Amino acid sequence: MRAASAIIRHLRAEPFAAVGGTIYAVILVMAVFAPQLAPYDPRAMLRQGRRIARYLPISPEHWLGTTSGGQDVLSQLIYGARAALEVGLTAAIAVVAIGSLLGLLAGYLGGWVDKVVTRVADIALGLPFLPFMLVLASLTAPGTRVVIVTVALLLWPNTARVIRAQVLSLRERAWVEAARVTGCSTGRIMFVHVLPQVLPLAALYGSVAIGWAILAEAAASFLGFGDPNTISWGVMLQDAYANQALGRGAWNWFTPPGAAIVLMVLAGFLISRGSEKLLFPKLADA
Amino acid sequence: MKRLVVSMGLFLLPGAGLAQEAGDAIRPITLLTQPQAAAPQEYQAAQIIADAWRKLGVTVNIRPLPGQEFNQVIWYQRQRWDATTWQMVGRPERADPDELTYNLFVSANAANGYDFVGYNNAEYDRLALAQRQELDLDKRKALIMQAQELINHDQPYGFEVHPYNVVAYNKTVWDPKSMVSQAGIGIRCTWTWINIKPLGAQKDVILNSTAPPTNLNPFNIPGGQGSWASEIVWDRLMRVGPDGLPQPWAAEKVERPDATTVNITLRKGMKWSDGQPVTIDDAVFSLVAPNFADKAPMYKPFVQNIASVEATGPDTLTIKLKRSDAAFLVSSLSKLNLAPKHIWQPIFDDLKNKPQTAESIQEEHPVSSGPFRIVRASLNQEIVLEANHDHWSHPTINRWIMRIMPNVEASLGALKSGEINFLADYTGDPEVLKDLAKSDPDIAVSQALDIGFKFIAYNERRPPFDNLAFRQAISAVIDRKLLAEDAWGGAAEPANSWISPAVGVWHDKGIVDRVPGGNLDAAKKILKDAGFVLVDGKLHYPKGVKETTEAYH
Amino acid sequence: MRRLIVERLGHLLLVLWVIATLTFLLFRLMPGDPTLNFLSPTFTDEMRASLLKGFGLDKPLWEQYLLYMGNLLRGDFGRSFLQNAPVSAILWDALPNTVVLTFVSLCIAYAFGIVAGAFLAFRRGGAVEAVAIPTALATRAAPDFWLGMLVLALFAFQLGWFPTGGAVSPGATTGSLGHRLMSGDFWWHLCLPALTLTLFLQGLPLLLMRATMLEVMNDEFVVMARMKGLSRWSIVMRHAARNALLPVVTAFALGLGASIGSNVVIETVFAWPGIGRVLVQAVQGSDYPVAEGAFIMIAFVLVVMNTVADITYALLDPRVSVGARR
Repeated sequence: MRAASAIIRHLRAEPFAAVGGTIYAVILVMAVFAPQLAPYDPRAMLRQGRRIARYLPISPEHWLGTTSGGQDVLSQLIYGARAALEVGLTAAIAVVAIGSLLGLLAGYLGGWVDKVVTRVADIALGLPFLPFMLVLASLTAPGTRVVIVTVALLLWPNTARVIRAQVLSLRERAWVEAARVTGCSTGRIMFVHVLPQVLPLAALYGSVAIGWAILAEAAASFLGFGDPNTISWGVMLQDAYANQALGRGAWNWFTPPGAAIVLMVLAGFLISRGSEKLLFPKLADA
Repeated sequence: MKRLVVSMGLFLLPGAGLAQEAGDAIRPITLLTQPQAAAPQEYQAAQIIADAWRKLGVTVNIRPLPGQEFNQVIWYQRQRWDATTWQMVGRPERADPDELTYNLFVSANAANGYDFVGYNNAEYDRLALAQRQELDLDKRKALIMQAQELINHDQPYGFEVHPYNVVAYNKTVWDPKSMVSQAGIGIRCTWTWINIKPLGAQKDVILNSTAPPTNLNPFNIPGGQGSWASEIVWDRLMRVGPDGLPQPWAAEKVERPDATTVNITLRKGMKWSDGQPVTIDDAVFSLVAPNFADKAPMYKPFVQNIASVEATGPDTLTIKLKRSDAAFLVSSLSKLNLAPKHIWQPIFDDLKNKPQTAESIQEEHPVSSGPFRIVRASLNQEIVLEANHDHWSHPTINRWIMRIMPNVEASLGALKSGEINFLADYTGDPEVLKDLAKSDPDIAVSQALDIGFKFIAYNERRPPFDNLAFRQAISAVIDRKLLAEDAWGGAAEPANSWISPAVGVWHDKGIVDRVPGGNLDAAKKILKDAGFVLVDGKLHYPKGVKETTEAYH
Repeated sequence: MRRLIVERLGHLLLVLWVIATLTFLLFRLMPGDPTLNFLSPTFTDEMRASLLKGFGLDKPLWEQYLLYMGNLLRGDFGRSFLQNAPVSAILWDALPNTVVLTFVSLCIAYAFGIVAGAFLAFRRGGAVEAVAIPTALATRAAPDFWLGMLVLALFAFQLGWFPTGGAVSPGATTGSLGHRLMSGDFWWHLCLPALTLTLFLQGLPLLLMRATMLEVMNDEFVVMARMKGLSRWSIVMRHAARNALLPVVTAFALGLGASIGSNVVIETVFAWPGIGRVLVQAVQGSDYPVAEGAFIMIAFVLVVMNTVADITYALLDPRVSVGARR
């Protein structure tokens, strides 16, 4: 609860963050009320008489026209918000969880735990992100699971580093000292006293991870390693690309999913105040 | 009309009364296909067909599988799937109907060969073998017609369409009159590469390919696009001509004195690119090499019917066959590359003690005798061939350059900008290409009906696809015209046979209108007559039949 | 300082070894048959077995591992399934193209980012910032393949100013890297992919430069200089910028490593024959030896550049020394 109010206070103070928060809110509404908002079933092959309603331009019936498969672009865009949130949030939660836990352990316990975490972080930072995802997708099954696993496995070190630095300074505070003197166990101090203090910071890192996850999903879809059964913005872009929406000048099909991705990722950047620090934590906290 | 009302009425009866007569409900059927992005046309066809099947009361789920997994499931897990979109691509050798007629439906190929649907009909096996051994053209034609009729009755596949090959070129660079259209292939063929005439200073054909080929060597089949190059680099004793019939090529004369003997006279004065003459020993070697210790598995099937090959003079050789083989001239003599013995005999000897096979060998400078020679092959970027001006059928162009461009949109742009002057490999929407030709007077579009075909394969190992009436009914509701118009954007012809109208002699004209039933009401009647029952809109097996097959997962 | 470098190099070797091992396990323990591409339904079981043997896949895992590590130390990545060329030849052919693309784009992006970032720090607050910062962020938020396709659609398809893909014109002799770098044709083909990558990369140096500039400008020595009566612009150029450059230079080294791996998408869009495209094609075609080799090579470049950045930072910033860092 404290975390939530902290975030709201933060949003008020920062106009950029407020814009980002608004974008998130709109996408959340789209995702939750997709069945009510979407005018058509996003997978349905719509017909015009016997023929299939392909490549319809923008019209009152189809605000963003239709695809080569006779599907309503707007409905797909709205349902795409679900996939985006699903991938983004799952990945972000994983990153925040792993990053906070390891950062907390390394920062509070120090010693060999710290050393091991740092080395493992070096390894994770040494695995190239997109290539790792492609290889994993080709060796297992393509789809969103691979995207989430990749984001979780490779992007936690940034969060861990910041959390660790924060914990290092918290550890020396008087109230932690006090808790230690009154006989609180190490585990209790770490998870009950220190962890809530660093979670808001971790959540900010999570919002950047949402962006990375969505971009990663889009790239995977583009290269043919997306989940063909989901409707996501990345899959929409790939569909438009494969059906030469560009060559046909079907901007109504090609632009909206790209713009949606830009907005959602941008929202994450905007929310994390001092984006520059977040983009470059390695230097920012050195 | 009255009968129609009655039969409709029967279907509208409340299910309760009929339920006792019905067997188990048919499980949800999974229709496999490639992802929309990889094969938009096939995917849309699957959607149209699934919609039609649902009208029969069948629950259908479309399941796209990515490339490698798709192949793995269809070819190697033959018990697992229900139905799938699939295709047979056109190749010059398929102009003779034997390869597809025999391989696709003969029950001997069901276990791990091309009869991947598990079709099994002794009568068909007899017909397929008979046409293979029949050397009389008219008699063989009659057998092929019978085979098509039988498949039409049995409907092991739901045939969809024969697609058109759509290509384009710059007609200010190339003389349109110099293009040669090969039956079932179109103008993107060997004969065009040899015959094409430049109108101006540009004497290099620059064409695109969407996929990188594998290595070029006379014992490897380097994929569809790679074959365009290997066909003009290596000579063959015969070639499939523009008319779809085999004609002597590196052979001067081919005679068949009896059903199992082929006499060949080799053309004189041919040379390998390293300067050595092409000898009768090279020709004999090329015909027997694929049999050496299983070291050329890709070409082995084409020499399996050869009993012996012997040189009978300085320019002549005799092939003895194990069995009579009507398609031998096409399927073997027009397929096997002439390879230099002085290069490849040592390679094969060396391979004997190694695990590798001949396909994997890449010579530094491949030695060949064909109308073109390999200058450079960087397989991710381009293949550059130069004309062999000493060849007896030498081309008029200087170079043949194949650019690897995986991006369809980019290859269109490249044609417009002149980076390529022959759009040979177009997997995109034909309408877009035709629009381009309309707006750009320099671009000429050419389309030709393909030998290949697209279809839904029904897995006859799994009920209800083992049931003739069920297969007939689900085939009858396929709107092939809609598939051709919408899924393939007009660049396809409705199909109901594996033999394309492109090879007119063998194709059964009118077979597309003879699908048993042929519409929704007739399909319902076929099902009803066979005992299938609709209960609350869901199709059930006939009385007493249990659903024992597990749904695809 | 020497101790620091030795320690960092030690860590480098450890990380390289772990990554090589992880890669080996990743490729060996996953399901699926790598020889599938070579198989045709007409093959017999013996042919299949002989193919497996040909690729050394019939040996026990530990033996394969020793063989693999030995080969890796000699720079031997095995042979491609599809192209039947040594993997190392394919990789060494492609890597220079990627390095040139990345290096050129990074240079332009950083030159632009440093100038624009300094300018924005100078003009803090106001309308310029309100527009410029979201714009810089948006280029980083856009999927790079989408950006690339828009660039391609505009400059290649619509206007026809630049080629649509590849690194050289059809049939042009490719030759050595030096030869390529001297040819105008190569640079002509480089324009669009480099433009896209630059757009994608410029946001980071811009924001970083702006942030550190703002920090440095409040530092004591700048305040002192201002009190001495130096003009604002000369303070910025002579004092602040020089100090603000430190993190930017380090970011450059990190960026070079990271972007060699993330180029896969842009290289695919522009058919740029770099290592990223090699990886994508290998992965799509299940050419595992090439995929493995390309992956290891990209990872190694990344790890090495991470270490270089670490050491550079330590060398340039006297506050950092072993043990006291962070």
